[in-house]
Amino acid sequence: MTLLGLDNLTLTQTAAYVGGAAAMGLGAIGAATGEGFTASRASEAIARNEEHAGDIIKNMLVGQAISESASIFSLVIAILLLFMDMPDPGIVKAASLLAAGLCMGFGAIGSGVGAGLPAGRSCLAIARQPAVSGRITTNMLIGTAVCQTPAIFAMVVALILLFKPAGGAAAFPTSAALIGAGLSTGLAAIGSGYGGGMAAGASCEGVARQPETTTAVTTTMLVGQAVAQTPSVFGLLVSFVLMFRSFPESTALSASVGLLSAGLCMGLGGIGPGIGNGMTAEGAVRWVARRVDYSGDLMRIMLVGQAVSQSTAIYAMVVSLVLIFVV
Amino acid sequence: MDRLGEIHQLLIPLSGYTITINLEVLVMTGIVFLLALTFGFVASRQKKILPGKLQLIGELIVLTFFGLTEEALGRTHARTYAPLICALFIFLLISNWLGILPHLEEPTRDLNTPLSLGILGFVVAHYVGIRNKGFKVYIKSYFEPVFFLMPLNVIGELAKIVSISFRLFGNIMGGAIIILVVSYLTYSILLPPFLNIFFGLFVGTIQAFVFTMLTVVYISVQLK
Repeated sequence: MTLLGLDNLTLTQTAAYVGGAAAMGLGAIGAATGEGFTASRASEAIARNEEHAGDIIKNMLVGQAISESASIFSLVIAILLLFMDMPDPGIVKAASLLAAGLCMGFGAIGSGVGAGLPAGRSCLAIARQPAVSGRITTNMLIGTAVCQTPAIFAMVVALILLFKPAGGAAAFPTSAALIGAGLSTGLAAIGSGYGGGMAAGASCEGVARQPETTTAVTTTMLVGQAVAQTPSVFGLLVSFVLMFRSFPESTALSASVGLLSAGLCMGLGGIGPGIGNGMTAEGAVRWVARRVDYSGDLMRIMLVGQAVSQSTAIYAMVVSLVLIFVV
Repeated sequence: MDRLGEIHQLLIPLSGYTITINLEVLVMTGIVFLLALTFGFVASRQKKILPGKLQLIGELIVLTFFGLTEEALGRTHARTYAPLICALFIFLLISNWLGILPHLEEPTRDLNTPLSLGILGFVVAHYVGIRNKGFKVYIKSYFEPVFFLMPLNVIGELAKIVSISFRLFGNIMGGAIIILVVSYLTYSILLPPFLNIFFGLFVGTIQAFVFTMLTVVYISVQLK
């Protein structure tokens, strides 16, 4: 079976090149935006407190280096796509290479922008409270590292898609399922990465405002970020189901479109809850820093609010699973 | 590269079904148990008012998690559940750190470990909920705010197990795969040790903490 009148090797190589371009092209968006935000806040911070310019610049560079890691993941995937040898070319392999590129490209957007937020706001925080700059930088490092989780999920799915042997799987609907798997984790990572960044940014400010509340602020931040990442965890789950379930051969258009839509549904459905949960966590972290004696109640309210906004991601997951298993 | 996805399994056929045992995970979990028990034994062997180094580390972990549990559950419940929480953290911490030693693997890299720990937390949380609120109030909470939302409330509760266990599994396995691929691309020159520090020590610690805290939080949500 051929597609577009191309032979298998040409088709697979074409898909690998398009995938590589998408991985690096899309993957550059997030990190660059995040780093720009960091630098702009660093300028503001230095203008306010010129004496500690050294600390601020050091903090800015460390933060930018971590924001960059999402696009470094993209670079690794893009290089692998361009120079990998193709053991079993075919429509399934072509689809899985294209999906790997799309997954990593989309997946790096949210984490890149998200990691820029705590990096920038920690520069301002150091300008405000230079005495605890070490503590602020540590908090920023933890926050930005946790922001990378959605990008790491995207990279895991991309690597599995790259190295998964196509085997004798039927071209349709398996190839549609693989593209769906890539889109599911990739798109769902956008919201979660950005949302996690919002929570981490508020925590850097909180540490500067009330250094003695650092433990409570960091704990609230971590729990908030973890819940904000849940949509991308659901995306990962749907991707795994799409990648590892074997589908009976069917050339009917509806079977292929159904599996592609399952991935698209979870991916798009995960963006909103990720950002919304991040906003909730940001609010909770900000107020824990001001009223640490209410931290237990604030965390409970945060979780209840997040659970409600999470339910939309659960609807998306239910629809995806219905599309996979029932339709 | 061939090591990607390779698992050593013991297959036991049993009247039509096959019991699958992942040997590596069992051995690695055993090593984690041994390390944790050794740490506990050595740290508490000679208890002093002026603690030694190991005793200090042990006291730090226990005090931190007792404090966090107390904040979330209140003093009486903390006395019951804090030991479980401390044990969970120590087990996860050693598990996630195990991968930095050559030839050893994190038990948490296999989905079975995080999933069973997630189910453990889920069962404990719902046990606490039923015991504290009474069975009637507990069941009623699923029919709120409107009765026909019940299926979605149940799915929402089950989704907690998925999210808590896949988060840990994804992070640890992701780190392991990235280290493997980068070592392969760079012929194991220069980069892998730094990646091991980042994914093994740093991400491993954070994820152990996040998993433990989420378990505490799930219990506290059922309590109120």
